[in-house]
Amino acid sequence: MNPSSPDHHLCSDHCGENPTVWDLPHVPLGLKREWLDLETRRHFLGQGVKALGWAGLATLLGRSAPNLLANAPIPGAPAMLPHYAPKAKRAIYLFMAGSPSQIETWDYKPTLADLFDKDLPESVRGGQTLTGMTASQTRFPIAPSLYKFARQGKAGRFVSELFPYTAKVSDELCVIKSLHTDAINHEPAILQLTTGNMFPGKPSIGSWLSYGLGAMNAELPTFVVMTSKMPHRTNVQALSNRLWSSGFLSPEHAAVALRSGSDPVLYLNNPKGIASDVRRAMIDGVNDLNRQLFERVGDPEINARISQYEMAFRMQTSVPELTDFSNEPQSTWDLYGPKAKEPGTFAYNCLMARRLAERGVRFTQIFLRSWDQHSRLPTNIKLMAEDSDQPTYALVTDLKRRGLLDDTVVIWGGEFGRTVYSQGALTPDNYGRDHHPRCFSMWMAGGGVKPGISYGETDDFSYNIVKNPMHIRDLHATILHLFGLDHNKLSFKFQGLDQKLTGVLPSKVINDLLA
Amino acid sequence: MTSWLSRAFSVARFVRSGKAALFSVARFVRSGTAASSARRPSLLSRAGLLGVASLVIAVSSSRAEDTFFAQRVAPIFEEKCVACHGEKKQKGKLRLDSFAQLMRGGEGGGVVKAGAPKASELFIRVTMDPTDEEFMPADSKPPLTPDEVKVLEVWIAAGASETALLSSIKGAPALAAPQGPTVALAPDWHPRALQIAQLEKTLGLRLVPRSHVPTDGLVLRTASSPGRCDDAALAQLASVADLIVEAELARTQITDAGLTAIAAFANLRALDLTRTAVTSAGVGKLVVLKKLESINLTSTAVDDAGVAPLRSVASLKNVWTFDTKVSPPGPR
Repeated sequence: MNPSSPDHHLCSDHCGENPTVWDLPHVPLGLKREWLDLETRRHFLGQGVKALGWAGLATLLGRSAPNLLANAPIPGAPAMLPHYAPKAKRAIYLFMAGSPSQIETWDYKPTLADLFDKDLPESVRGGQTLTGMTASQTRFPIAPSLYKFARQGKAGRFVSELFPYTAKVSDELCVIKSLHTDAINHEPAILQLTTGNMFPGKPSIGSWLSYGLGAMNAELPTFVVMTSKMPHRTNVQALSNRLWSSGFLSPEHAAVALRSGSDPVLYLNNPKGIASDVRRAMIDGVNDLNRQLFERVGDPEINARISQYEMAFRMQTSVPELTDFSNEPQSTWDLYGPKAKEPGTFAYNCLMARRLAERGVRFTQIFLRSWDQHSRLPTNIKLMAEDSDQPTYALVTDLKRRGLLDDTVVIWGGEFGRTVYSQGALTPDNYGRDHHPRCFSMWMAGGGVKPGISYGETDDFSYNIVKNPMHIRDLHATILHLFGLDHNKLSFKFQGLDQKLTGVLPSKVINDLLA
Repeated sequence: MTSWLSRAFSVARFVRSGKAALFSVARFVRSGTAASSARRPSLLSRAGLLGVASLVIAVSSSRAEDTFFAQRVAPIFEEKCVACHGEKKQKGKLRLDSFAQLMRGGEGGGVVKAGAPKASELFIRVTMDPTDEEFMPADSKPPLTPDEVKVLEVWIAAGASETALLSSIKGAPALAAPQGPTVALAPDWHPRALQIAQLEKTLGLRLVPRSHVPTDGLVLRTASSPGRCDDAALAQLASVADLIVEAELARTQITDAGLTAIAAFANLRALDLTRTAVTSAGVGKLVVLKKLESINLTSTAVDDAGVAPLRSVASLKNVWTFDTKVSPPGPR
């Protein structure tokens, strides 16, 4: 490797033990230069910034020229800084995996009642390709919601009787009825919501926030994920860490998944017979070896590993304190309901999310699965609502009364919508609904989101959007905006692209949602 | 007179935020009499611009140049096209840095056919398949946004006039809401970067800039080790007191004594004292904080008597008192 003489080409079999891109023939010089540039930057960022911090910044600024960087972005400032002052410091994302029907929940369609079992007009469907689950149906009979809606709160929003508790915080919610997505199946759709891309390998929203803003509490992960026990199991999709991975960002930006049960983080406790100081000495030894390796090869991933060891050690103290609910007063249990005492339930996870928010964890994502009601929807959606309604209300209420809702944004929703027509047989008290990416509903609350409003409209069949369509990318751009981040500027160079959460297709912040 | 027109475009773009007085900057620059004093907006401080503007009002007396071309069309060319079709480069022998140059066209002839966007080469090139090698801007430079394309379309459709007033051409997408003026919440922290670094190191707390804007102030952050933040630590923050705009002190060791130090955070807007040992006796010290907008007293020993003095803080919008003796306890 001889970067100083870029025109010196070596044959591929003379690369030595550690060939680099530089040594390869047939690689355009420009690409090699870009690689060199990237390497230098990675090394600077990898070893530089964290060590640099304020002290390094001060050196950069110099005593005599303190205003040198006054108007420039501040390299080496502690963590990266928001592009503008944020409204939200944290987010709690209640991911309703499997996708609850918008028609029974937030997209009230009173005129459907008169259309029971009528065929969905072909003009509405517009020749759309359906999933294999309903493509062979000879009829597409309209299934009105079996659940009633009533006006709630000062804003008079229609809220489904499935959510008697959430109805009480209706005025806090900003309901978006015009979201649309690209995928019609769960896996790509969930990935698109969590990472902005249907294909695995991209960083999650929480990882981007961690990368862009750093940690508020160095003792806990910046990004935490929890999966929830289900009140029933029907059509449950697998979840895995590709939904909360850091993709091409440094591994320290990946979520830590808290497990239910007595051991929320696996292997965090010391093995029997190993005292804390022994563990400390072992970590010091391993870190020393890693540092030596880093000095030799300069791979920033080694530093990420060191920081992960350190984080794990700190979590040995911080996690037991976090998960010890014994100091919660009775009012907490009254609010969240009795299930909050059972680790792993959605109620428990909501309470945990509040405790994480209190301690400065930036992004908490709770998954609740089994909303995928292709059949027996009326029965199963009720089970799901009964399990999640009170804890959801409790979380919003608890954050609000503790003064945390102002800078914590709560997000609720699935990965797509569901069809207005019944999948399978339609009877007066039973039906199912297939996947529907053309429109679905979500809500957000707090953290600089305008409370009490609805955004976007669908047609009378909740099939097509007729006003203010909002793509997933727009949702992502808007979430980043709440955190003071410009989605076009929060980027990371990878595979020759300035990668962004919102990708390369058009996306925009929806200003109408901002308080 | 170097590319004075393109500079005028830049200024016009900057100026379109709606401040009527500032429109005269574009007028002034376009007159060409003092182009050298018109600087690119990125270099102009707001105050500087205002200075130029007031000078302009005194010098110039012609009518405000509020044309659709200057306000909406030229800024698009300036941002997306002039790098290759301007004073320095004239690819395809086309220049887009003035109305006259635009109408002169390029080596293939005219590029704008008034009244017919879809027959105008200019419009065709920016709306064709982006993978077409004739697509503009070329070489993967940022394409025109849908809004920008729409602006070109309505302008050409309306006759591609240089003089048509902004208000006379309908159908153009609204401009993005202008950024409000930046309000300095605190002095620039940069000159005190060294002190900040030392304080963070010795006290084990964080002093984090709220944003890239140097006058957005600092957040005093203690979440990593609230146990280390006590009254003594706060007392050592005097040298940066005026920089702190938010103080996150939940679960720290501070007591009423520490509130004396906080009372010196003259630019403080948000104060979180959740689950600290502060009491009603101490909270009264905070009435001197004339910019305080929110205070969180959740799970403290304060009572009605303690929060009463806060009523005199006119800026205060939120006082959270959940889990205290204050009545009524919280919103619900």
